[in-house]
Amino acid sequence: MELRVAARKRFGAFLLDADFSVRGERIGVFGPSGGGKSTLVGIIAGLAGPDKGTIVLDDEVIFDSGAGRNVRPEHRRMGMVFQRPSLFPHLSVKGNLLYGFKRCPPEARKIAFDDVVEVLKIGNLLDRGVKHLSGGEKQRVAIGRAVLGSPRLLLLDEPLSALDDSLKFQIVPFLNEACEVFRIPYLFISHSLLEMRVMTDIVLHMAGGRVVEQTTAESLVRARMGEGKTGYINLLRLPEGRGVDGLYAFDWGGQRLLASSGNDQPGALFELSSRDIILFRGRPEAVSARNLLKCRVVDVFETGSRVGIELDCCGNRLVAEVVGQAAEELGVRAGGEIYAAIKATAFKKLG
Amino acid sequence: MPAFTAADYSAIFLSLKVAVVATLASLPFAFAAAYIMTYRRFRGRIAVDVAVNLPLTLPPVVIGYLLLILLGQQGFIGRMLLQPLGIKLIFSWKAAVIATSVVGFPLMVRSIRTAMEGIDERLVHASRLLGARALDTIMTVIVPLSVRGIIAGSVLMFARGLGEFGATVIVAGNIPGVTQTIPLAIYEYAGSPGDDAMALSLCAVSVSISVVVLVFHEWLGRRVVRRD
Amino acid sequence: MSHPAARAILSFLFTALLAGQVLAAEINLSAAASLREVITALSGSYAKATGEVGFRTNFGASGALAKQIANGAPADIFLSANTEWMDYLKARGLIDKKSISPFAYNVLVFAGRPQSKVGGLQDVAKLERVAIGSPKSVPAGQYAIEALRRSGIEKKLENKLVMARDARECLVYAERGEVDGAFVYKTDVEEAGKGVKILFTVPQELYPRIVYPMGLTAEGVKKASAAAFFRFLQSGGAKSVIARHGFEVK
Repeated sequence: MELRVAARKRFGAFLLDADFSVRGERIGVFGPSGGGKSTLVGIIAGLAGPDKGTIVLDDEVIFDSGAGRNVRPEHRRMGMVFQRPSLFPHLSVKGNLLYGFKRCPPEARKIAFDDVVEVLKIGNLLDRGVKHLSGGEKQRVAIGRAVLGSPRLLLLDEPLSALDDSLKFQIVPFLNEACEVFRIPYLFISHSLLEMRVMTDIVLHMAGGRVVEQTTAESLVRARMGEGKTGYINLLRLPEGRGVDGLYAFDWGGQRLLASSGNDQPGALFELSSRDIILFRGRPEAVSARNLLKCRVVDVFETGSRVGIELDCCGNRLVAEVVGQAAEELGVRAGGEIYAAIKATAFKKLG
Repeated sequence: MPAFTAADYSAIFLSLKVAVVATLASLPFAFAAAYIMTYRRFRGRIAVDVAVNLPLTLPPVVIGYLLLILLGQQGFIGRMLLQPLGIKLIFSWKAAVIATSVVGFPLMVRSIRTAMEGIDERLVHASRLLGARALDTIMTVIVPLSVRGIIAGSVLMFARGLGEFGATVIVAGNIPGVTQTIPLAIYEYAGSPGDDAMALSLCAVSVSISVVVLVFHEWLGRRVVRRD
Repeated sequence: MSHPAARAILSFLFTALLAGQVLAAEINLSAAASLREVITALSGSYAKATGEVGFRTNFGASGALAKQIANGAPADIFLSANTEWMDYLKARGLIDKKSISPFAYNVLVFAGRPQSKVGGLQDVAKLERVAIGSPKSVPAGQYAIEALRRSGIEKKLENKLVMARDARECLVYAERGEVDGAFVYKTDVEEAGKGVKILFTVPQELYPRIVYPMGLTAEGVKKASAAAFFRFLQSGGAKSVIARHGFEVK
């Protein structure tokens, strides 16, 4: 999917001035509230018109103020999932799901109803009205509805912001799977870096109505490592754990990790702060932390007053964080060997 | 209760007929007006707002007189359009329908507008993005979600129509069997010594019809709620 | 007494007393609408001649007037366009029986726009819209219905009759062209102007003689000024004025 936007729109005192070209399948739009993200999505969808500019999607010009061209939203073949589900209250779940499907010409329908129902696990909800569904159920139906229109681009405007944390990370796998299975590129808007890391490959960083850089979630996170209180958050996807002596054991790329919080769902996400990783130049004889990993240093980078050290542990990546002096004392350099100690309590389960 | 004459039955039937026809004929226009006022931004919106609400504040007799001037033999529309086509609206039941429609129009528009403004804008956006064109969105999203307003507006117009007198008497005249509705019949009886009983009987009929209409409105409103 | 409210009350009482004096010399007339011009002329010349008498005149449909009087509206002399309503008040004891006498007589005509080609009742049967005063309360309308019934064309005009409040309204409809013609009194047309003219006179055998009875009410009989005016109305001088207005006097 390739999207090229060069557009301006004025809203009273606020000016959106976006100029970028991006190519990929999982694109994020990141920025603080009021930075213009929703406005940008609005003009891409065709719900609002720029004062001036052009928008090109996959070689089709969908907006060009100079040529007087403006493809109406109903012809843009885009799907949208909003922050609040916006399901049609007068239709059943099935009616909602099929709304876009029915309006897609048969030859353009690439996605089947039953497949979507299965992926999103909403089969048991089909005949119900939408008023009494839970927040998570509503959002899954909203995703299904958008996907069933066979859109060529899915716009996700803060779809997880209204959900509480545990629910957020239950929905994430549904979103990921739907877009992967049905091969729909998406534009994911959010003010949460964590959501960016999990959902996107490329990030458009917006502030003050402009796209200030095109980067990755990873770079953004590393750049902020020194500023925040939590350091860099490593995200680990761990399989089902087994209870062992009051702790849980996980298989992680051939190594065994011990964590104090458990997990009975395969593929749940765990957080590990870079500041909770202690590094040793040589293998310590004994250590209280239950996890001792032998790693190879991949990269050393500086951000502000801290030094981030990217480690490779049997194919898995971790980032540890130390102060500049510690890095000197340890003598870390790329390619070198190092030992990482992590307490079992340092792992926090997400969702 | 004294027996009704043929003219009295005519009056009852005519009242119902005029009220029903006026309501049905006004619905598409009122819906269109409400839609434009809710969903479109254009210069001169205030003028439309004022024009639609004007009949609410004018005395019905004034409305009747203005319609007469407009549609009569010497009126602007009368001379330009109606006479060449051989259509005589004044003193016909159609004029009664027009008078009732004009008088009740702002009530209907107001009800529908209130309902429309209560529809979440994002639902309209979602509908468009899912591939529905403007008319499709109107029929599949806006109408179903403003049904309560449409019903309320219709009932209001119908009830107002049953009681319409001032504009009707001027532009449709008092013609038994043709334009003499219940209010006109009662007016005639009230001016005649010894006919108080007849006038009261027709009043009773009028009240009964109103009660039936209001009960029906309540019931319909409840049915719509339960389906949610 | 300097309190403003008290002064206001006193002024009011004073004015009311004075007004009471004036009211004693004022005569309340209730007359059928078709008698408006002639009654105005007669009361005007009488007031000028006698100097101090004032008139309060109420014109309208005879039926409506009769109902008003029956409900207590003030009236000293009642002039009806039909004996029925005079009888209605007589039966309720509201009219002095001895005073009832004919004021004038009238004739029923069919009027319309000057260019109209209607010459008789058979032509009327073919018209689209015809105005008459509502027979329930307007005597002219009752006479018209009677004439239509006796001439056999009542059925043909079913659903084509526009009910008006009084004869004057009929003529307004006719003048505007909203109706093809109207049944009114000859006297109404004479006052209507150039927009309408008499198309034909309805044959007298088709309807009873139109009498305008007049009578002193139970209140009026007690008022000297009212009784005096009543006698004037029966005088020869009055009759010539009446005839000049298009009525018949015998």
